[in-house]
Amino acid sequence: MSHALRAFSVRLAMTRRTAVLVWAAGMLACLPLVAWAAPFVPANDAEVVETLPARLDPAARAARDAWRRQPEALPLALQAARTAISRARRDGDPRELGQAQAALAPWWALPSPPPAVRLLRATVRQSQHDFESALADLDALLADAGVPAAVLAQAGLTRASVLRVQGRYGEAAAACADLATPRLAVLGPVLRWSAQVCEADVMTLGPAAPAGHARLAELARQAQSERALVPLRGWIALVQAEAADRRGDPAARGHFLAALQDDADVYTLAAYADWLLQHERAAEVEPLLAGRAEADALLLRQAIAWRRLGDGRATAAAARLQARFDAAHQRGDRLHEREEAMFAWQVRGDAAAALPLARANWDKQREPADARLLWHTALAAGDRDAAELVRRFQQQTGLRDVRLADPTQPTRVARRP
Amino acid sequence: MISTTFSTILRAPLRRLARCAAGLFCAGSAWLAGPALAHKPSDAYLQIDIDGPRVTQRLDIALRDLERELALDADGNGSLTWGEVRSQWPRIQALADDGVRLQPDAAGACRAAAPAMPQLDEHSDGRYAVLVREWQCATPGAGWQLDYRLFAGTDPTHRGVLQWRDGRAQGAAAVPVVLVPGAAPYRLGSHASAAAGTSLLAFVVEGVHHILIGTDHILFLLALLLPAVLVRGASAARPTASGRRAWVGATWQPGGSAALRLALPAPVLQRWAASLAAAATAPWQPAPALAPALWQVARVVTAFTVAHSITLALAMLGVLNPPSRWIESLIAASVVLAALNNLVPLIDAGRWRFTFAFGLVHGFGFAAVMNDLGLSGRGLAGPLFTFNLGVELGQLAIVAVFVPLVWALRRHRFYVAGVLRGGSALIALLALAWLVERAFDLKLLPGG
Repeated sequence: MSHALRAFSVRLAMTRRTAVLVWAAGMLACLPLVAWAAPFVPANDAEVVETLPARLDPAARAARDAWRRQPEALPLALQAARTAISRARRDGDPRELGQAQAALAPWWALPSPPPAVRLLRATVRQSQHDFESALADLDALLADAGVPAAVLAQAGLTRASVLRVQGRYGEAAAACADLATPRLAVLGPVLRWSAQVCEADVMTLGPAAPAGHARLAELARQAQSERALVPLRGWIALVQAEAADRRGDPAARGHFLAALQDDADVYTLAAYADWLLQHERAAEVEPLLAGRAEADALLLRQAIAWRRLGDGRATAAAARLQARFDAAHQRGDRLHEREEAMFAWQVRGDAAAALPLARANWDKQREPADARLLWHTALAAGDRDAAELVRRFQQQTGLRDVRLADPTQPTRVARRP
Repeated sequence: MISTTFSTILRAPLRRLARCAAGLFCAGSAWLAGPALAHKPSDAYLQIDIDGPRVTQRLDIALRDLERELALDADGNGSLTWGEVRSQWPRIQALADDGVRLQPDAAGACRAAAPAMPQLDEHSDGRYAVLVREWQCATPGAGWQLDYRLFAGTDPTHRGVLQWRDGRAQGAAAVPVVLVPGAAPYRLGSHASAAAGTSLLAFVVEGVHHILIGTDHILFLLALLLPAVLVRGASAARPTASGRRAWVGATWQPGGSAALRLALPAPVLQRWAASLAAAATAPWQPAPALAPALWQVARVVTAFTVAHSITLALAMLGVLNPPSRWIESLIAASVVLAALNNLVPLIDAGRWRFTFAFGLVHGFGFAAVMNDLGLSGRGLAGPLFTFNLGVELGQLAIVAVFVPLVWALRRHRFYVAGVLRGGSALIALLALAWLVERAFDLKLLPGG
């Protein structure tokens, strides 16, 4: 464990009691958010009662209305579903996934829907963490000779991503390599380069990490001049940022900024905010997330930053997050375990509550971020077995990360008093 | 169509293309992890209260969802004003009436009142429209059918979170019911309601669970039961007249405390003091016969049961509602006293009276648990009874294990010195720590 991390753990332990008190006080203060509060009538018609940063634009509304008039028309349904999915990605609003599913309703339950529908169904299902169903659809597409090349390429890339998220790095690498098949050559150089980025990214997660870093650097250099690589710049920058972060290279910061310049989506913002928090730069989180902190994942990073800085706004943010987790539980969702574990550990200072959540998350998702979360909550909670899960995973995959232990060394876990 | 969309990758502006091009060509885990973690999905909150002939339904729908469905933001500036919402209220009401249909078993027996005024409320992810409807039913049927179809056509991931209560028949769903739009109708009502049946059983389990994890309640009982298998030594069981006079003379001289003498008649005080004096000097002996010992146990357990049942009911019906910090402190104090009494006798013969008095306090403690389960007010008799039944079952289980054990151990020399005195001292210390924690809101003990 690095010095910075050890110092952080000590500070976390010392402030744990205060955090619990602050959290409890916040819960009380924000009780009306959780319970059935008394309804109210706004003072006048001019009062703004809700802001809608992600409202449908007229074109999207027109497309949706066109689909509603002819819900059985496949092209209209596909268009409605695709635009809903891209809005879901941009704004991080899961109800857009529901809209996509609604648009595909006539084909949704078919065992073997049209290829374009099947691809979108897999996309929606993996977003809802139903990885096995998503993989089944993707495998079926890849095995079907009649599938159009563009659908096939997307299915291959999505499959590689799902396998990577599940920690199946060997299979992910094979899925990336499969994209180089002659059948997809018609799609031109963008796909060829995408396959390379995909492969290099997976390489950085295993024993071939040094070669992967070199390939990424080479791809980034080529992206300066190669026209077909230009659309991939943001993706390359993000992959480089995460790889640099794993080996403790301060260049990660520059790569994150480049990725954000290309596309400041929720995932990239959250990843960079985590990097700032891990490098004692909590004060930079607020300007980074300004205007975006309504998304749960970003509000969580903001709450952690405020708590580290002793900012009083941490209490209200924590109460708001807790209320959202409660609401998700009420509807029976278990999609937020990663965020909930981070919340329990870093906002409430309760490692014992965080560990079961981190473990449940680990059963579904095994990205390096999930490994870090499980490793550190296991250490903080003094659970050797849980820490061992990460070490064994590292031994199997060859994953190295400066914020994880060296897996060749035995796991040392201090028992908590 | 598909391949043309793909080819636009090469021509379209560069931003946002790499990881996801026109919703078709996306790569990297950024795309995968994004949506699920960012926002709360769409939920509506439904509350149904059946109170005799009057049925009230409150439905909260997110303004965000209504805007998507009905385009409320008339000027399209991304800010929804109250005027924009209010002017579209009839459409909102129509959407709600269409999406949530509550039908009594006795068809046509209900008369709908006019919908309530437009209102809003705040939930964890923003403002919601609050739609309240009320019906008067002449011959209320045995049950109700709820058909929930809100957003069934536009968002299959939408959920309705239902809480309902039937005051007349004491039926209730203790935990919120999650409604899937377009699924089979949900049945709510007193008869044949699986939800009510399971929730009542769940209260028994809650009761058992609460007494078994409630260390303070258990220790209170154990401290009272530890001496039940012992009797005071025969030599001191009947104090001599001279002993009594000597003790009384030392403490309660006439004129010593006018207030006390006024409050309690002198003979009572004298008898109490005498029995204490006798107890203080009399050694503990193993009880010779089982029946009197069991009688002791029965009196203590019954006193505890009757007392906490009374206050549990009073608190749940809203008659009395003392502050929980006092109650929790008093519960800790009761454990301290019960344990100290085994070391320094304060109350001997009338232990059941002491148990009854403090049992009243413990009842308020149980009430706090039931409140935490989200229950109070009307329609409670069923859950109240079954929760209490669970508490009694748990208590009986403890007694059934504990009493035979101490009965078997009572003749060993270490029972009085080790188990009774040592155990009581430990219990008293632990409970004293709770008392300080609860009374002064401190944290002394690890955990908890």
